[in-house]
Order: sequence, then C-alpha cells, then structure tokens
Amino acid sequence: MGKRITIDPITRIEGHLKIEVEVENGKVKDAWSSGTMARGFEALLLGKDPRDASYVTSRFCGVCFSVHQMASVRALDAAFGAQVPWGGILLRNLVMGAEYIYDHLVHFYHLSALDYLDIMAIAKYTGKDPELSKVKEKVVGLVQRGDTFPLTPRYEPDEFSVKDPDVVTTAVKHYLDALKMQIKAKNMGVIFGGRAPHYQSIVVGGFTQYPDINQVARFRSMLDELAAFVNEVYIPDVVAFGTGPLLPLAKAGIGGGHRNYLSYGSFELDEAGQKLLFKPGVVVGVKGTEGLTVRPFQHEKITESVRYSWYKNDTPRHPYEGAQVFDLERRDAYSFVKAPRYDETPMEVGPLARGVVDRDPMLLGLMNDYGVKPGAVARHAARAIETKKVVEAMYHWCDELTAAMTKPGFKIHDTDHWQPPAQGEGAGFFEPPRGALGHWIRIKDHKIANYQAVVPSTWNASPRDERGLRGQYEESLIGVPVPDPENPINVVRVIRSFDPCLACAIHLIDPRTNQIRKFLVE
Amino acid sequence: MAKSFDGLSRRDFLKFCAGAAAAFGLSDLFTSEMIAEALAAAAKKPPLIWLEGQDCAGCTISLISVENPSPASLILDKISVRYHETIMAASGHIAEKAREEAVKEGGYVLVVEGSIPSADDRFCMVGGHSFRRIVKETAEKAAAIIAVGACAAFGGIPRGTPTKGVPLSTILPGKTIIKLPTCPVHMDHLMGTIIYFLVTHKAPPLDKLGRPLMYYGMTVHENCRRHAHFDEGEFLSDWNDPKQRDWCLVEKGCKGPEAYSDCPIRRWNNGINFCIDAGAPCQGCSEPEFYDRHTPLYAAGPVTERILAKRAAGLIPRKEDA
Repeated sequence: MGKRITIDPITRIEGHLKIEVEVENGKVKDAWSSGTMARGFEALLLGKDPRDASYVTSRFCGVCFSVHQMASVRALDAAFGAQVPWGGILLRNLVMGAEYIYDHLVHFYHLSALDYLDIMAIAKYTGKDPELSKVKEKVVGLVQRGDTFPLTPRYEPDEFSVKDPDVVTTAVKHYLDALKMQIKAKNMGVIFGGRAPHYQSIVVGGFTQYPDINQVARFRSMLDELAAFVNEVYIPDVVAFGTGPLLPLAKAGIGGGHRNYLSYGSFELDEAGQKLLFKPGVVVGVKGTEGLTVRPFQHEKITESVRYSWYKNDTPRHPYEGAQVFDLERRDAYSFVKAPRYDETPMEVGPLARGVVDRDPMLLGLMNDYGVKPGAVARHAARAIETKKVVEAMYHWCDELTAAMTKPGFKIHDTDHWQPPAQGEGAGFFEPPRGALGHWIRIKDHKIANYQAVVPSTWNASPRDERGLRGQYEESLIGVPVPDPENPINVVRVIRSFDPCLACAIHLIDPRTNQIRKFLVE
Repeated sequence: MAKSFDGLSRRDFLKFCAGAAAAFGLSDLFTSEMIAEALAAAAKKPPLIWLEGQDCAGCTISLISVENPSPASLILDKISVRYHETIMAASGHIAEKAREEAVKEGGYVLVVEGSIPSADDRFCMVGGHSFRRIVKETAEKAAAIIAVGACAAFGGIPRGTPTKGVPLSTILPGKTIIKLPTCPVHMDHLMGTIIYFLVTHKAPPLDKLGRPLMYYGMTVHENCRRHAHFDEGEFLSDWNDPKQRDWCLVEKGCKGPEAYSDCPIRRWNNGINFCIDAGAPCQGCSEPEFYDRHTPLYAAGPVTERILAKRAAGLIPRKEDA
C-alpha cells in the first residue's frame, strides 16, 4: 500500500478541485479527481424564457467567460430555427477570439508558470538590462520587506524548475507584461462584447452591437499589439521552456493519460459554415504523431455516467435524456463531476485534442523535431500554437466584417426568429479554450423544459465510470514522479496543464424533483 | 516619505495614487497626496484574504481588468495577498496554512466572492471544510468585509437553485458588510473601495442595502445616453436597423430605471463600452432581485410593465427635467 496524498484545494485554477494520489516507489500508482462545489443551474432555468439561458449559463464560469453563452445561443439558434447572418457570426467569432487570447495568456503566465519557475532565482540576476533590473528590484524589495505573498509559500522548486537567473527574470517580466496584455485582450473583446468578463451582446439569432467602421479599426489596432506579443513572446517562451528545461518531462510524455482526443470543431471561416478553423473529430489511442486516424464526431455517442458521482444512481444517458438527483449519501461516490464518455471511452478535450484532431502541422512538427509525446508540456505548446491560429483568423474576420458592412442589407441578427417557439429542441456545440462544450435545450409551451450542458472540464476531470475506467486527469497522473510526498509539484503541473475549470464542470441538478437530502458536515 | 516604497520609485508610487484617484472616482474625496501618505505610512502592506464559494471567478477576473493603476501594482505592491485560490502560488495544505496564519494575525481585508449554499454545506467544500465554516472563522478578525458580485452581496444566480445560495450577510448577521453587487463586480468599484478603506480605515458611506453611495447612488436610467429616446417612446425593436442603433432598450427587457449603478458614466473595462452601449439591455445585476425576479431578461416582463406604468404616470423624470 502506497502513501496517500491529498491536495485540496488545487489553486490557480477555476473552481474547487481536490486531487488524491497514492504514491508508491516515488511514483503515482492511483489517482482520484473530485469536484467539491455545486450550484445547480439547470433547475433554475426550468420554466424560464429560453432566451435567459445564454445569460445565465454564461455564469457557469467567469474565467473562460462567455463560452457557455456561445454554446447556449447555438443550441437556442437551432431550437428557434434562427439563421444567424454572416455579420452576427463574424462578431461572435471576433469577441470569442479575443476571449481565447486573454484566456490562454492567463493560463500560461498567471496560472501555470509559477509551477516551473524558481522565482527567488531573480535575486541572482546580474545582467544590466534596465527592464529586467526593475523586475529584480521589485522582487528583491518584496523579499527585503519580508512579504512575498502571493508568490510564496509554494511547493519547493525541483529538478525541472527553471533556476537560471536570466531566464527566470525574463519570465517574470513576461508574467507582468502578460498581465497587461490579458487586459488588452479583454478591452478588445469589449469593443463589441459590451463588457468582460461576461459579454453582453451575444444573443439568440446573432448579436446586439451594430458595429461601425471606427470600432473595427480600433479592434484591429489592439489585435496588432496582441499578435506581436503572441508571436514574439508567448510562443518563443513556450518553445524555449518546452524544448529546454522541461524537455525531459516533454519527452517522457508526463501527464499523457488515455491519449484519446475529441473536438467538436469551431469558428466558421465562410458564410456557409462549410470551413471551420478547428475541425471536428475523434482520435483514439494516440502513440505518436504518425498515422493519426481521425473519425467523424457524432453527438449521439455521448453518454454521461454517474456511477461515482454524488447523484442518484442511474444508467449512462445521452444529455437530452439527462436528469440527475443529488445524492450526497452514496458511499462510493467522490465527485460532483459526472463521467462523460464517447462511445464508452474516456476522452481528453482542449487545445491538445484540437491540435491532434486537426493534425496541426506546427504542433506535430514541433513534437516530431524534439521527440515530445502527448502530455503536460505538449498541452502548453498546443495552447500557444492555436493562439497564433486564432489571431490569424481574427484578421480574416475583421476583413470579412468590413466587407460585409459596406454591402446593402448588412445584418447582425435574425429578428424574424427572436420569439421563442412553442416547442423545439436544439444542440449547440462550441470549442472554448478548454475544449469541447455542448449545450442541449428542450422547449415546451415557449419555456425551457430541459437544459443540459456537457462541458470541457467534465470530460477531463471526470471520476471513474461503470467500467471502472479512470477519467483523464486521473489517468494522466499514473506514473507521475513524486519523489517527495511533501512536495507533489509534478501532480499540480500535470493537473494545471489541462487548465481546469470546475465551476463549469459541476452545474447539474434534477430538473423534475430538485430533491436534496439534508446532512450537515460539521 | 520614504524614497522608495516596496521597491517602487517615488514617481511610480505617485503615479499609482494619481491613477487610483482618477480612475475610481475618488478624486472628489482625496488628493493623490492623501492616498500616497496613507499608504506610505503603513508599516507593512495591509493583508487581504479573498475567499471563493459558489462562484464563477468572474469577480476575480474583473479585478485583473483595470489598466491604470495596474492590478500588479495593487496585488504585489500595495496589499499583501495572503490567500486567494486563483492567484496564489501555494496549493493544498500549504495554502490552507497560509490562510490560518493570516487569520491568527487578524486585521485583514476580507473579500468574499460567491454565495454560500444553505441547502447543505457539502455543496461547497474547500480543504475538507465547509465554506460556511471557513467564512465564519475568517470573518472573526477581519478589519473590513467586502462582498463582491451579485452572489456574495445578495445571493445572485445561485439563490434560485436547489443548493439555495445565500449572501454573506445571512451567515454573518450583525457584521458591517460592504456590498459591491453587479455580475461580475465592477473592477473600478472594487479597486476604489479597497483603496478607500486603505486610506480611511473605514467603509465608504453606504446606502440602505450596504452599497457604497459613491458608485450606486443613481439609477442606470438617470445617466443613460438613450434617456431621451425613452422619453420619446422610441424603443429598439430590430438590432439590424442603423436608425434604431441608439434607441431605448426597455422593450428588450432593460431594467435601467430600477437598477442603481454608475455604469453609464463609468462604463466598463477602462471606459471602453458597457451593456447598453453594446445594444444589450441592463439586467439590473446591481439589485437584490437579480436574477430570479428579473426574468424574462430579454422581453417585456413584470419589471418592464412596472417601468412603463411609471413612465405613463409621469413618475420617471424626463431628460430635460432631470
């Protein structure tokens, strides 16, 4: 029997996550992922005007903000029979593109980087660069005043931590620069989105902000600055880390897990929606970068298991049929997260899944050149590479929007389908930064009759299923080196590489009974 | 004043203070020198504990959205962030220990984001403890308590769910709680309130619901640029029509006449835009009725009927009378 380690809370993620691992001979032998907070949004939506859904579900998460708004309006568009005009599609794409840039920068620099840097190495910086010297002065000032919160306390740096004073000081400067850049990305999105987090202008049928040409110009000039940062700082940083100090972790494929990948596809590149920036598809059992077989995605193959979740026991169901009652007394349950499976198989979703499904040449090239296996480091690389892809597409959308605006009859909204139908159902799919997201709605008597969402972190953070198969976080921890049980830094590195979002992952409740049994913890 | 403050040059420091006064509407109350003196006089950085319950972290993301003064200048230089799950380096028991130690020392600003489940404590657990217990323990020795966002201030969206989210005031009866609703919290309201407290060691003057009057003193409608269209009965019905681009959104469900916040003057995200300017109705996220008593959000419902009845009765002043 190995030693059991509990990490609760996992910080620098969205939401409340507990990870337990069993460590034997310095390696993780088994793992359990538990979501420890629930709200229960779906019950609230029952009987409401269907148009409320996009606003309310946006509040699943304020970090990857508005991604649920997008999936929700797509489900509503389908249920209402709305045809979103090209102008509306472009505006949606542009504000969500801005969200991608903000989100990926925050994830790499502000949520993850502290796992890889020995911040205190800055004190040893002896260079003369005036900008870097300012960073050194700042950090040394904090140390001298005896207050380095929130940079400390921390898990102690290990053999994979970057300790070179020049590199660390540069990285911390980029941490501070990226803090400004993520604000700029939000500012850019807000030009059309209204405010952030939680954009206001995405509604069923299209968009509410009628754009003018000055706004497009302002958007574009902010995009120029962000593009420069992504290309000249973010991507080089990720490549330098991944192929430098972290190369041993990258080559060993630490945190690879099941290596099954799912993407729903996203971001229309043409008016007919024939061409997508990210393609949909499924790839199972990836060994390397050669011979990847991409199968078509069919949403009918999605089921959700509650075998180890705090819901009343039930057979796995498709989201349209989903209906869960909280049951906090189940002895073998250990999470509020359910276990979605595709064709009964646990999947990884997110940037790495998109890169694999797309057979992205830049990602696969980088992995080939350095012998990087799918895992934690590859996830960071995939995230940076797709940010570049999104930035390039955003220029295309700016051009398309400018062209569309000059044509007579320019439209941003399908006003003919604004009123909720008497009956209807719709599924909406979107690829947010964290991966495959689906919303399902049923409408009866003009009101919401059922609402379900299967979100990225539900796929990744899921507990075991009927067959006892671990979720992707759990599987990805198997074999991870933990030489010192007091300092499980590799465990949090692997978990954070997924960019967990637990508030998103847990939001369900039984729409029919709203039953909860009483029990107090204290 | 000392030549440098936390490794900042005096010039940078004064820039922060001037920026803060201007950006957060504090310049009527304090000069930048007053802010500078109050902050420099502190022997050490005032500690902050930020707790997240039934939240979406949207208020945290709002915090890191102010351009000037930058969030780094607040988080690293002006306050000592002893616990904040989304920001801090530490995880697990190391993080929990940091909170326990800060609580022992006392005298911190406590910020709470998210509601607290009242149906069953197990709907929100952190580090093996119920969130309710953590909040109660942490509130004991707090110098100031700020409820950020609609959820912590009034229950917000989780109030209507089966987990029955309740606001901070429900589990801390008798405590003074500064409430900063809106969904998420307005970044300027939050930064400005923290700086107000650091300068005066007091809560700003509050309305009867606990919201700072300096930010929540007037309705959205009173300052709305579409006010005249409301008076004229020009209500937007089609977002595609350039002629209607600035018309009143009341028939799209706008709650502006019943919502108290300075959004139309301050706008959001460094003054770039805000809901109504983006053609989206105000959903009254500053109010205790948000969300479940504000539905339907995008259609004329009970709130709209009330607003239009008041308008017909001449109870809402016209722009020229205001």
